[in-house]
Amino acid sequence: MIIGRQVGIMHKPIQDRFKISPFLPLYVIMAMQIGIGVLGFQRVVAKDAGNDAWISVLGAGLIIHVIVWVMYKICETVQGDVLTANVYVFGKIAGNALNSFFIFYYILTCAGVLGGLIEIIKVWMFPELNTFVFASVYLLLAVYIINGGLRTVAGMAFFSLVLPAYLLLVFGLAVKHADFTNLLPVFDHTLIDMIKSGYRMSLTYLGYDVLLFIYPFIKEPQKSKKWAHLGVFFTTILYTVLAILTFAYFSGGLLEKSIWPTLEMWKIVQLPFIERFEYIGIANWAIIIIPNVAISLWVASRVTKQVFHLKQRKGVIVAALLCLGILMFLNSRERINMVLDLTALLSFAVSYLFIPFLYLSVLIAKKVKKK
Amino acid sequence: MQNERSSSPEKNQQHTQNKNEEKKNSEDWEKTFLKSKDFTKTNYINQKTGKPFTFVFMSTLVDEKILSNSVLPALLEEELYQLSDIKKLLPIPDVQLSTEKSEIEKKLFNGYVMLFLDNDKSLFAFIAAQKEVSRSVSAPEIEFSVVGPKEAFVESLRQNINMVRKRMPIKELVSEEFTLGSLSKTKISILHVEGITNDEIIQTVRQRIKNIEFDEIVDSSYIVQLISDNESSPFPQLLDTERPDRVAAILAEGKIAILVDGSPHALIGPTTLIEFFSSFEDYFLNWVLSSFFRLIRVFGVAFSILITPIYVAALTYHYELIPKDLLGTLINSRRVVPFPPILEALFLEITIELLREAGARLPTKVGQTIGIVGGIVLGTASVEAGLTSNVLLIFIALAALAAFTTPVYKMSNTIRLLRFPFLLMAELWGLLGITIAFCFLMTHLIRLTSLGHPFLEPLYPPRVQDLKDAFIRGSFKDLNRRPSYLRTKDPIRFSGEKSHKKKDIDE
Repeated sequence: MIIGRQVGIMHKPIQDRFKISPFLPLYVIMAMQIGIGVLGFQRVVAKDAGNDAWISVLGAGLIIHVIVWVMYKICETVQGDVLTANVYVFGKIAGNALNSFFIFYYILTCAGVLGGLIEIIKVWMFPELNTFVFASVYLLLAVYIINGGLRTVAGMAFFSLVLPAYLLLVFGLAVKHADFTNLLPVFDHTLIDMIKSGYRMSLTYLGYDVLLFIYPFIKEPQKSKKWAHLGVFFTTILYTVLAILTFAYFSGGLLEKSIWPTLEMWKIVQLPFIERFEYIGIANWAIIIIPNVAISLWVASRVTKQVFHLKQRKGVIVAALLCLGILMFLNSRERINMVLDLTALLSFAVSYLFIPFLYLSVLIAKKVKKK
Repeated sequence: MQNERSSSPEKNQQHTQNKNEEKKNSEDWEKTFLKSKDFTKTNYINQKTGKPFTFVFMSTLVDEKILSNSVLPALLEEELYQLSDIKKLLPIPDVQLSTEKSEIEKKLFNGYVMLFLDNDKSLFAFIAAQKEVSRSVSAPEIEFSVVGPKEAFVESLRQNINMVRKRMPIKELVSEEFTLGSLSKTKISILHVEGITNDEIIQTVRQRIKNIEFDEIVDSSYIVQLISDNESSPFPQLLDTERPDRVAAILAEGKIAILVDGSPHALIGPTTLIEFFSSFEDYFLNWVLSSFFRLIRVFGVAFSILITPIYVAALTYHYELIPKDLLGTLINSRRVVPFPPILEALFLEITIELLREAGARLPTKVGQTIGIVGGIVLGTASVEAGLTSNVLLIFIALAALAAFTTPVYKMSNTIRLLRFPFLLMAELWGLLGITIAFCFLMTHLIRLTSLGHPFLEPLYPPRVQDLKDAFIRGSFKDLNRRPSYLRTKDPIRFSGEKSHKKKDIDE
């Protein structure tokens, strides 16, 4: 607050009734991390490290804890979100220019995720799906959620994890057909391969950077730390277990040809009243993706509000329309991949380059301003 | 008087107007009254002092027994010199002296008898002699329970408060009264327990009730619509009950109850979605049994909303989803049906809705016939005629049955309605459409509040402690704390220490 006043951007303090409980960041972070990537990360990570890739998955997950720690440090130092930090360090003009980058980045993320979902639906369920209509309804839903404030957004994040949790049980049915000797020999790949694999995996893990934006909305942020770390930890465990299971279930050759191994694992499930279980999975994925879209749009509209003083109600509609516009161009596998790769690259840069850099700058700026 | 005159010009004007009228004709206030046949004015003379006095009252609102048994004998036979004497003469607790002419209308229409001495018409007395016309207390019909008390609210506010107070004879049970409705002058009472209920809740209710502007408030359901957080939501945001025992129980939990004169339903708030699926009988049964029934109900609701949409989705888009053996059955039943699944489902759903409406609007005896005609004849005939498949008929009938397991009537209405958007979305995008409709529903529920408290609690925001009385009904030992979302002033109901001691084997 005090710092905000110093640099001349006076953010209204957030009222208590709009804040979220300290344990909810767990769900927000997990929901943002688990998105379209879960369905197909296995093939990508196995490209370099093969059956050892699960170690890279675990390792890449553990490194995130450092980033989360740094993010908390930044927010604590400036007593606010990353927007405050940017303005604090780089001054009003450069800081806000940096901030407006986030608008672009999150709208692109939103479009990429939604595009990915639509692609899966088209491949597995409805080849004739009208992208425009579906995306409009889906974005309308997101706007409806965001209009309820961050509490509603966090609520959807919560339910999107709790309700489809039963899908995890279904993987248990795949264990029967798994051959865990596929994982042997362990540590058969070079360290370089493992790191390459870890780099690819880090792209799937992305999304925890929302913490930088929701920080001012957390009641007693000090208490929320352990929950945020726990959220990241759960995601890591989930991905690691899924990776191990996939490598045991698929033989190396088959995995190379499977774009969505997670979905294919469901195909083995047979219940007396449901055959093709992956249909249920895909339908459920529409719930799991919702927080990705809603949180991204929320951040985009929130940044717009802070930087351009546009009302968030209007900002969110503008952001949704932009997202819809981008989606209309994503009509092929190549283009979707391009956007997904671009957002992955951007967010990798944000997490592993920008955030540590910002932390150092904040520390320096603090020292300089004190003098 | 002086204060009033300076503070409100309106009253001032009224006052001078009254004075002018007084000069013209001292009995001017009677003019409109006289048009009514039940307006009565009688003259008497006191036997001891010879003072003439007059009674004015509405004969339909006054219990004449009180007049002839208690009031008249005293006034006629004892020494009456001036009006203030009646305070020592009358064996009636509620006697008020007044000079305010503006009060006359209010008092007369509340069942008071106005008394004045013929020589001094400026001073008069109001004697309470209300006639209480209300039906006698009967067994609850909507929230029937096999075990437990068999009392239900009636249409009289006093009687209803009496039934609640009997169950909670403490001074902390506060009843605040408001009068609402420019024409109906309905009395509304807010009940809460001081020292337990959070002041914010009471303040919210008070504020919302004061802000109501309405002419004729007929029933408590008017109040629900007028003070709801979101009036366009199909979900009821205040729970209504006809059971005084339930009201006493929720007051002890730290909620508030709103009673409306003329309505046999109390309103309970703040409430949660879960509460609509808990019947009060759950608390009369052992916790294992009632938890089981609650789970059945929740399953019933989910089944009722989702089964027809899933049928439509599966048969329109995802035949691959259905195992081979089951597919045979479905094909057999649908072979002759010429319509797509959505039309078939809509046709049957609307038939069921028609039956329900017809059954609800008709007198009981005719209603039963409708049920038989509709259910058996129409159902069988439409299957035989090949308009619908019998599998769907079974689903629809089961769904209708499941919807009725909801213990609260208003909620079962909501469930009836919810099915249709789900059906349409299922027709549009199959299972995916159902999921999206579900997301909209979830969002709506997350955003909904009841008197400012989250409607979806304890699911979201998640509160583990309150889950003890949600999908399962914990044992009374575990329910020793009041619901945490109510933020009560005294969160502990009973210490629970004694009951929690667990003895070792053979001790």
